[in-house]
Amino acid sequence: MTMGRFLISDWSWGGAALPLSAAALAWYLAAFGPRRRLGYLAAALVVIFIALASPLNALADGYLFSAHMLQHLLLLLIAPALLLFSLPRSLSLALRPRCFGGPAVGWIAGVGAMWLWHVPALCDAAAASRPIHGLQTVSLLGLGVLFWRQILAPREAERLPPPGAVLYLFAACVACSVLGIILTFSPVTVCSAYALPPVDRLGLLPALRAGWGLTPERDQQVGGLLMWVPMCLVYLGAITAQIARWFAEPACPAPGETP
Amino acid sequence: MNELAATLARARAVTPLQREHWAMSWLATVDHKRIGILYLLTSLVFFVVGGVEAMLIRVQLAVPDSHFLGPDTYNMVFTMHGTTMIFLVAMPALFGLANYVVPLQIGASDMAFPRLNAFSFWLVPCGGLLLHFSFLAGGAPAIGWFAYAPLNEMPYSSSPGVDYWALALLVLGIGSVGTSINLIATVLTQRTAAMTLRRLPLFAWMILVNSFLVILALPVLNAALVMLLIDRRLDAHFFLPPGGSPILWQHIFWAFGHPEVYIVAIPAFGILSEVIPVFARKPIFGYEFVAGSTVAIAFLSVLVWAHHMFTVGLGHTVELFFVASTMLIAIPTGVKVLAWCATMVGGRIRLDTPMLFCIAALVQFLLAGLTGVSLASAALDWQTKNSYYLVAHFHFVFVGLIVFAILGALHYWFPKMSGRMLSERLGKWTFWLMAIGFNLTFVIQHFLGLAGMPRRVYTYADLPGWGWMNLVSTVGAFVMAAAALVFVWNLLASLRDGEPAGDNPWQAWTLEWATPSPPPVENFRALPPIRSRRPLWDIAHPDRPDPVVGTKGAPDIVAPEKNATGVAAFIVSESAFFAVLVLAYLYYQATPQPGPSAHDLNLPKTGGFSLCLFASSFTLWRAEAGERRGRRRAMAGWLALTILLGGVFLVGQGMEYGTLLHGGVRVGSNLFATTFFTLTGFHGLHVCAGLVALLVVLGLALAGDFARRPSPALRAVGLYWHFVDAVWLVVFATVYLLPHLR
Amino acid sequence: MTPGTVLQVLHPASPQARAIVDLGVETGAILAAIFAIVAGVVVYALMRFRWREGEPDPHQLAGNRTIEIVWTAIPGAIVIALFALTARTMALSDPPPAPAPDIVVTGHQWWWEARYPQSGVVAANEIHIPTGRAMALRLDSTDVLHEFWVPTLARKITAVPGHPNHLWIEADQPGAYPGVCSEFCGTEHAWMHFVVIAEPPAEFAAWQSAQLLPAVAPAGAEARRGLALFERSSCVNCHAINGTAAGARVGPDLTHFASRRSLGAGIAANTPDNLRRWLDDPQAVKPGAKMPDFKFTGEELTQLVAYCETLR
Repeated sequence: MTMGRFLISDWSWGGAALPLSAAALAWYLAAFGPRRRLGYLAAALVVIFIALASPLNALADGYLFSAHMLQHLLLLLIAPALLLFSLPRSLSLALRPRCFGGPAVGWIAGVGAMWLWHVPALCDAAAASRPIHGLQTVSLLGLGVLFWRQILAPREAERLPPPGAVLYLFAACVACSVLGIILTFSPVTVCSAYALPPVDRLGLLPALRAGWGLTPERDQQVGGLLMWVPMCLVYLGAITAQIARWFAEPACPAPGETP
Repeated sequence: MNELAATLARARAVTPLQREHWAMSWLATVDHKRIGILYLLTSLVFFVVGGVEAMLIRVQLAVPDSHFLGPDTYNMVFTMHGTTMIFLVAMPALFGLANYVVPLQIGASDMAFPRLNAFSFWLVPCGGLLLHFSFLAGGAPAIGWFAYAPLNEMPYSSSPGVDYWALALLVLGIGSVGTSINLIATVLTQRTAAMTLRRLPLFAWMILVNSFLVILALPVLNAALVMLLIDRRLDAHFFLPPGGSPILWQHIFWAFGHPEVYIVAIPAFGILSEVIPVFARKPIFGYEFVAGSTVAIAFLSVLVWAHHMFTVGLGHTVELFFVASTMLIAIPTGVKVLAWCATMVGGRIRLDTPMLFCIAALVQFLLAGLTGVSLASAALDWQTKNSYYLVAHFHFVFVGLIVFAILGALHYWFPKMSGRMLSERLGKWTFWLMAIGFNLTFVIQHFLGLAGMPRRVYTYADLPGWGWMNLVSTVGAFVMAAAALVFVWNLLASLRDGEPAGDNPWQAWTLEWATPSPPPVENFRALPPIRSRRPLWDIAHPDRPDPVVGTKGAPDIVAPEKNATGVAAFIVSESAFFAVLVLAYLYYQATPQPGPSAHDLNLPKTGGFSLCLFASSFTLWRAEAGERRGRRRAMAGWLALTILLGGVFLVGQGMEYGTLLHGGVRVGSNLFATTFFTLTGFHGLHVCAGLVALLVVLGLALAGDFARRPSPALRAVGLYWHFVDAVWLVVFATVYLLPHLR
Repeated sequence: MTPGTVLQVLHPASPQARAIVDLGVETGAILAAIFAIVAGVVVYALMRFRWREGEPDPHQLAGNRTIEIVWTAIPGAIVIALFALTARTMALSDPPPAPAPDIVVTGHQWWWEARYPQSGVVAANEIHIPTGRAMALRLDSTDVLHEFWVPTLARKITAVPGHPNHLWIEADQPGAYPGVCSEFCGTEHAWMHFVVIAEPPAEFAAWQSAQLLPAVAPAGAEARRGLALFERSSCVNCHAINGTAAGARVGPDLTHFASRRSLGAGIAANTPDNLRRWLDDPQAVKPGAKMPDFKFTGEELTQLVAYCETLR
């Protein structure tokens, strides 16, 4: 089949994602009522849907490591950020016990999620088994929220101050870059599930290998590069927003400000 | 000299005792102002050396088929020219300016660690001497300043010149990291109370951001250099085929090398951001955007290195990603250039010498940035790289931006440093000779590159155009040399009888101008109130002060503890060093090789010894708790136990090494052995250093030091020790555990 | 390439080089416009906003958010455009490699070896190609990094020991296209020139056939003595001459030495006088060259030159 037909036809219902999304929407409306920030929730759900139900998902399912990586980025970086944006500004996300709320935990969650699911054994397991794949999806969303909470928690007091946020994001970029470098330049296959010729259920293999030139080696390269450059650009965007936030002057100085 | 000393004494810059022993007081100084001047003088000396090398190059290239210099001599000269200019001129000059100016701008009385400051400075003449000693010891290195492999390896460069080069750069790199740790700690912890981070002058802000880049990038170079020395002296094959990869050298070197060019450019941006507003008589346009774009540039600069490797065969996929990241970095850079332009528009521009140099730097950097974008396009780079087009581009950055900015800065801050004005007339002569000479030398080199002339050639055939274009370039170089002579004359003459400068000859607005010229030893007798980014403007215009820059949250006001900050920065630099070694290990383990492998290692035994090391972190934590609660004996006890456990670990390492060496495994046996010994060896070295530090702390504790006053020493050393343990966690997992997980 | 062309890069003689020049012109136009505008603003500011005695301070404008956003977005758009153009040109100027190369080029310190696997031709510093057909080159090195650069025909590409790279070379018109080594490779990096000679297919085939012929036994007495001297000296340790016992591959293959235009990888024209100077003391002609000074006598030199001149 051609890529064009594939992109139009190969959408699924997304398995459990659709009912869960509906449930999330319902819960949100019940808890907070209809409000402007609902748009962010809708966007988050669209991103999750694209990750899990669109042709991207079909490609990630055994065909392309780079598609799987794109799925990861959507689930770990984009969707959780949008989810946090959707929460009302007064909602407190303080965690008990308090030590779980620290930046160290958030950072390890976000960076660890990427590293953990690319340990070869775990990567293959997630590609092979549906339950583990589901666990991977849920863990990416959850750990992503933990990571972004330090930067995007609804309440200003629960966020890192901007200089700290810049260091937090920069360190995350470096940590993920190291993984990206390993994936891009390593002669070894990290996720062997994608290196072996997949069962060509969709008849896509010729189009991918010949038309797009995506051999397994190049596929891993692209996957590594996706983790590295676009991921770091997302972090750069967040850093820029933090600096903008930091330098923005309040409308008038608060009473009691240091002269 | 007496007159200068008298002037300085009057300004309370020198005590009578210092005046009597002035030579020793300079040699033994820990005052940031003097260290800054020492850096500048050192860089001036090496500027002459590098400049003579440049003149030799241009004389040799003035005509085709020249025999003025033989090929080996020429190759040594251009290698030394590049290395000297970057590491012994640009970096020391910029560190010197930072050293002098930053503490003044933040209202501090000195740098956070004055003795570290002096140590870092003295590493520069030390490294410079080490590098130049190679001339006497078999010949200077002739491998180019970035020393590609395999040419830098023994079979192709057997003279010890390369080893001297590597050792010198290691020494200089350590000095740079030391200075940057000091600058970070100074800006974060030594600011006067009202100087919040958001009120920092842009030069200080950019030096702060730049220092983070230094502590990340220089250790990467250090890793590459030690790997090269291990190749050359211990018969290893990190970068030497068969087995080793010359391309790996390029990756590691440029992962340092590209941030390096930003490390020298960002302070130049800082200089322009200070001088242009003062001489346009209005504030910088878009302070927040200039400050923010600096962070973006620093961030992006670590993502672009492979644009130096577009012709090496990385594959279009990889190359395209680097095209994207490199082109992106043009955006925050452009924001700055436009900010400087917008600062001038609507101002009242005074064309004193500092401003002339900075405006020229702006326009020349504009050209350099644009040719840089053309080089970011891999397809265009495929034609222009390694030709004189590239030589022109990077000289427009290094000379057109950086040297011009440094000259502008020297004319701007010389009155503050010496109490005298430089001659404006000689300054303008310097400027015009420099501007004309520079552009004459390097504009035409763009066309030489398009004519097909490659770089690093000691001579060339008489092809159409090559002869006269090279001759024009050489003439320009002589004009630049004249400019340098006028400048040195200006310095000497003005030191002797320049006009007295007063506190604020340029009517500038930042804190360094709120104290006499030169400043007293303690920098400030009294500080003006600081509510905005231009305290002196507010004082001069009480009717229309700048809008108040409010304080925002903890980082603005609260200063972290300086020793912990310093150690944390040091840990970051060490992490970069170990990260490179770990990556090299992983890279070479990916392909199976004959010979020793991870299966020859003794996992259970080393695992046991590792537990000792991890346990020492626990005992150290107990020691720190003991110190906090004031229980000196408990603290000393736990500390001793920590040292013991660390020693046991080292014994275990020794046993592992012993078994391997007994089995005939040497560093050069195969790449597993090389990377294993390098990684664990350097870790062991760090453990030794940690043990020495812990012993010192234990000694202090037993001598009663901690009883009398709280000391941050244990916490600082403790942070380092925990870091060393964490590194071993990573190394142990990677080297010992990972093979069993496959 | 027409004699007298100065800016070689701007005179492409192949589709690949032309694609690069086209991109260069488009990019150059955009970048030149940016330079003109920004430098123009600087010049305008210098003319219009000079300090004059007695004038009040200027308006202390601290910034303008709208302007900042606009002048960040416009370069952003330009960058995206340049990226897209670059991606396209990369594909045009550097097509994917062929499965098997037509010519294997190996860089040595300081000369280029060219081997034609299909025909068996071995040449040095002169690479012949037929016009109208793209030839697939595979590049390698026996020692350090070298870089193969023919500005009028193609991009430059590094020859990395142990990591073969690929390049397509093609020429629209017959001609001699000079090339250089552009990666610093040691003492005589400056004299590692080569030339790509494009010929109509028939002439190329004739050249190939001629190159495959072994060296004819020399007729003249001097030349015969030269051959004898060659065979008993250490010349045979480095050089091969097809038709003699000499088969070493360390230095250039000399079977058709006299048919080449230059010697010493471009350091001198290939004339009997230059050859004599070279054989007399290679180090005087090309200091650092791997060929030692054999201290031949004047008579021996005459014999060797006579012999080498027969190697057409």
